[in-house]
Amino acid sequence: MIFWISAALLTVGATLLVLLPLTRRVKAPVSDNQYDVEVYRDQLRELDADEQRGLIDSVSGEQARAEIGRRLLKSAKAAQADATIVRPQKSATREWLTLATVLAIPLISWGIYTKLGSPDLPAQPLAERLAKPADQSTPAELIARAEAHLMLNPDDGQGWEVLAPIYLRLGRPADAVTAYQNAIRLNGDSAARQLGLGEAMAAAANGKITPEAEAVFRHALELDPKDMRPQFYIIDGWMQQGRLAEARDLIRKLLVEAPADVPWRDQAQAALTRLDQEIAGDAPDVSDVEKTGPDASQVEAAAGMSGQDRAEMIEGMVASLAEKLKQSPDDIEGWERLVRSYVVLNRPNDAIEALDRAKKVLSADKAAKLDAVAEDLGLAVELEKD
Amino acid sequence: MTVELGHFALVLALALSIVQAVLPVVGARRNDDRMMAVAVPAAFTVFALIALSFAALTAAYVLSDFSVQNVWENSHSQKPLLYKFTGVWGNHEGSMLLWVLILSFFTALVAFFGNNLPPALKANVLGVQAWIGSAFLLFIVATSNPFARINPAPIEGQDLNPILQDIGLAVHPPMLYLGYVGFSVCFSFAVAALIDGRIDAAWARWVRPWTLTAWLFLTGGIAMGSYWAYYELGWGGWWFWDPVENASFMPWLAGTALLHSALVMEKRSALKIWTILLAIMTFSLSLLGTFLVRSGVLTSVHTFATDPGRGLFILAILVLFIGGSLALFAWRSQTLAPGGLFQPISREGALVFNNLFLTTAAATVLIGTLYPLLLESLTGEKISVGAPFFNLTFGPLMIPLLAAVPFGPLLAWKRGDILAVAQRLMTAFFVALIVVAIMLYRTSAPGVLAAFGIGLAVWLMLGALTDLALKAGIGKAPVNVLVQRVVGLPRSVFGTALAHFGLGVTLLGIVATSTFATENVLVMKPGDTIDAGGYTLRFDRIDPVKSSNFTEDQGQFTILDSAGQEVTDLMSAKRFFPVRKMQTTEAGIRTFMFSQLYVSLGDPVKDGVVVRVWWKPLVTLIWLGALVMMAGGGMSLLDRRLRIGAPARARTEKARATA
Repeated sequence: MIFWISAALLTVGATLLVLLPLTRRVKAPVSDNQYDVEVYRDQLRELDADEQRGLIDSVSGEQARAEIGRRLLKSAKAAQADATIVRPQKSATREWLTLATVLAIPLISWGIYTKLGSPDLPAQPLAERLAKPADQSTPAELIARAEAHLMLNPDDGQGWEVLAPIYLRLGRPADAVTAYQNAIRLNGDSAARQLGLGEAMAAAANGKITPEAEAVFRHALELDPKDMRPQFYIIDGWMQQGRLAEARDLIRKLLVEAPADVPWRDQAQAALTRLDQEIAGDAPDVSDVEKTGPDASQVEAAAGMSGQDRAEMIEGMVASLAEKLKQSPDDIEGWERLVRSYVVLNRPNDAIEALDRAKKVLSADKAAKLDAVAEDLGLAVELEKD
Repeated sequence: MTVELGHFALVLALALSIVQAVLPVVGARRNDDRMMAVAVPAAFTVFALIALSFAALTAAYVLSDFSVQNVWENSHSQKPLLYKFTGVWGNHEGSMLLWVLILSFFTALVAFFGNNLPPALKANVLGVQAWIGSAFLLFIVATSNPFARINPAPIEGQDLNPILQDIGLAVHPPMLYLGYVGFSVCFSFAVAALIDGRIDAAWARWVRPWTLTAWLFLTGGIAMGSYWAYYELGWGGWWFWDPVENASFMPWLAGTALLHSALVMEKRSALKIWTILLAIMTFSLSLLGTFLVRSGVLTSVHTFATDPGRGLFILAILVLFIGGSLALFAWRSQTLAPGGLFQPISREGALVFNNLFLTTAAATVLIGTLYPLLLESLTGEKISVGAPFFNLTFGPLMIPLLAAVPFGPLLAWKRGDILAVAQRLMTAFFVALIVVAIMLYRTSAPGVLAAFGIGLAVWLMLGALTDLALKAGIGKAPVNVLVQRVVGLPRSVFGTALAHFGLGVTLLGIVATSTFATENVLVMKPGDTIDAGGYTLRFDRIDPVKSSNFTEDQGQFTILDSAGQEVTDLMSAKRFFPVRKMQTTEAGIRTFMFSQLYVSLGDPVKDGVVVRVWWKPLVTLIWLGALVMMAGGGMSLLDRRLRIGAPARARTEKARATA
């Protein structure tokens, strides 16, 4: 409302300022040529001064004076002739132009403004937004307020502590990592902070438990061995790496040691069952494609995939097989499958490398068997070349 | 509310500008005093409204109101306060608003100081100013509105380009615009005179202060821009023949020509057509500069082609004003009465000589600037016309012009005696020759051109002093009288001498720096030293420093004199702005007399850092010379003879009564 009143006042004021001269009589207008006369008079005075100073010699001075004099005379004559010019006091043109002006100023300004402006949108200076009571602020404003505060007081550990989980929840894991690190630096080590840092690191790596994150979880576990959460993150990481047997053994151990009524028992039991099946080969282990073939859902999924996605899926299966063989190398069939897969995927170097690795860990008779397979696949030739 | 009020004020200014563009001009045609009288209050009101609008945008920047799109795009809450102010015009929309603010400021000045102008001329001038103003206000409102809002407002801005976060930016564009836009007044005077059909010596007298003012600011703006590029870009160069620089240099050359030709028109009523044409061309070049810089055509012809809205709009303004004024000129110039005659060897002749060379030089720069653009748009081939082209074309044009400068002010009007003038300049000439001889003796072969260049600079400076001394009547009066007479000289005489002296100073700086500068690029470890210009620079260490919106590696150096004594220290830094992920170089500069040691930090390498060290002899003279030229312009502006009175009403009425 105040805006519209101000805008209206501005419009009225501006219009009046412009209209005023249109209604006022101009007193005794002077001929335009009279202004020229004034300039030439001034030039004559200037010429006299220059002559006195000796800046100009008397001959040139005289010539210049004659020249200026002629101009002066011409303008003075014209000024006199101007006295006959009719200066209309009443004029129809002026009247309708006045009317047009009175209409045009508000029409143009309000017309354009209502099309382009946002009259209802208040100004939002940052300081004002941040000073609003917390319950009226948007989450973004609250965070900005905290950030502004921490920018000025980077050693406020409490601030980092509060901000860190918020970042994590808002999907800003990198900021969360920084915040947790600052909180640990300023407030000291604690299991909860280490756990948060680990979670943030995992989130920043798109859910992957990196070795760094695993170290952080281990540290959290040391600080509070009773908290099971870091333990499960570590197990999760092992499963990601294909260390299924280790994961299974640890879960089993935890279940044995824990009291009967722990809330995570059911979940852990379910995970254990799944792992058991997977290790036994009953479950659709993705790495066992060649032996068991992909299950129906996987086939369906693969059929619906683009070439790129399918390639990625197969690559993922091969990678997990390779990982598995690292853990349990004494598996001649596994090696055979891996080498075959590499050949099919047109990665002969990897195939040869896998062959070499296999021969180092396998007994002599098994190695010979694998060599025969390699020859079948046409790898032997390339081996000789090496 | 302030933001929206600013927006409304801008739109209201447009409406009022349109009224100011129509009523006074119609009034002048119909001898209607009341309609003409609208121009003055309209000019003041438009200025006040645009100032209000500008203040609202500035407030939005200072208060970090990110609901304004322009603020969100170009500011950041953690930015130092000064750069929140300068950020207002560090972007397209804001700088266009500054452009019209300055335009309306000049219009208001004409309205305020215009009491000595004939009413019809004043009404037409203010009307034409309003044409320009309306066109640009429409441009802003239609394509570049700085008051566009975002709802909901983001919580943080996207920061200002770090290269632009510099004190040079705070002063450089406003000053440049004061120059650019200042020439609009000369343009409006020219168009007004063409409409009115009254073009005479008095007209030139009325335009002179406006030409001087615009020229003064443009000189300052160019010098400031050059110094900014010199220390902020970290290349050690002070002029790059970059299209953006050329865009400001062309109006300067044409404006300088205008300044001189208007003198002839004022004194002798000659060169009228030419002077009017120059006034039109000077502002046209300013408009062209605005178009080149603002349409994005310089970054690439292609970006311009993909988003042509703004560019085409400015192009339309350009065509309308340049084409329109030239058409008017073609139509009216036939009717002009020829002015006073003069011999080729005379003050007028010298000024024509000056004009010939200055306009040719401006045309050369114009070709060098536009040709690559034209070629790219026609064939798609990208070429760059750089220093070699301009050195070969612009340089040779300047030599005869500069050599002739000392003669100009000493020649008499109408017909001059060149031999007598040469005789009076003998002392200056011989001193310059001696300087050349000394330089030739002391420097080796590549210094030959430099020797003559420095001789030319000395000739210019001494020539200016000779002019002053002769006009004071040296040799004709005792010393104490002489001092009195020097003080009593008209200020415009001082102005001329100062401006010409400043030209010599700048030339001296240019020649000395471009021929005697030394450059070293090397890897330095802490403790390493390098000699430059008689001093020794020692690299001490790198300090990492964190500031509110950037981090920087400060390279700390110590400067030792030839005896190994510590003279001073020097810091050169590399800054990193995390928000924009950009790096800038902060050159470390120390001034010794007029020369400078310039150190720029490069990338770190194995146990050391790349350092560029320049010794720039007399480099500051380039900008000091510009300051002296500005002082000359200011001195001329203060000449009380420019203050012509308006015809007193009483006197005319009495005259009428007696008649």
